[in-house]
Amino acid sequence: MRTIDAIRRSGIGVGPEQTVREAAQVMERTGVGALAVVDGARLRGILTDRDLLRRVLATGTSPDARVDDVMTSPAVSIEADADLHEAFALFWTHGVRRLGVVRDGQFVGMVTVDDLLVDLARDLVDPSRPITAEIAHAHRDSALPVA
Amino acid sequence: MHAHIGDRIVINGHRVDEPVRDCEVIEVHGPDGGPPYLVRWSDSGHETLFFPGSDAAIEHLEHLEHTRA
Repeated sequence: MRTIDAIRRSGIGVGPEQTVREAAQVMERTGVGALAVVDGARLRGILTDRDLLRRVLATGTSPDARVDDVMTSPAVSIEADADLHEAFALFWTHGVRRLGVVRDGQFVGMVTVDDLLVDLARDLVDPSRPITAEIAHAHRDSALPVA
Repeated sequence: MHAHIGDRIVINGHRVDEPVRDCEVIEVHGPDGGPPYLVRWSDSGHETLFFPGSDAAIEHLEHLEHTRA
């Protein structure tokens, strides 16, 4: 499976010159916890709600600071056509929960470990349905032939 | 995905209680109608830079006008 096919949610972007306050407002209005910081469509970094907590609130940084002063950069990113196994490897290696997905350097979306876990759980549940049905409804088995 | 100014983008909710949201494309920043798009949300009137994913569907302006007619 390609990484781009695992993107579940549309991405929201902000410019590097925008303020932290503006970015927080975008997060609040759109209900997302991570924003792509883009120059045009080129990914410059990722700003997460955790960045706002650790690098703004905890340090007393002004909400008028620029986004590119507090964002995570360079963002851990993956090519859109890369196999999803590579995404899992990056999550593991970098200890992040979100990856920027890019094509030719242009941001196309964000894939999150949460979304992948939901997909993984679904993939595990579907094949197991016949087995659980068999266990739960064993009486449906046909009777053994009488010798 | 390709859009034009005036098209409507509908974003499906990800949870049972999450409402469907929609926005209007007011600027197309990618080549040949591609993303990103500057959009205006219908529920708040705010504008954001939007990269559509699999949860988003575009309703083209001509289709909308045809539906209204």
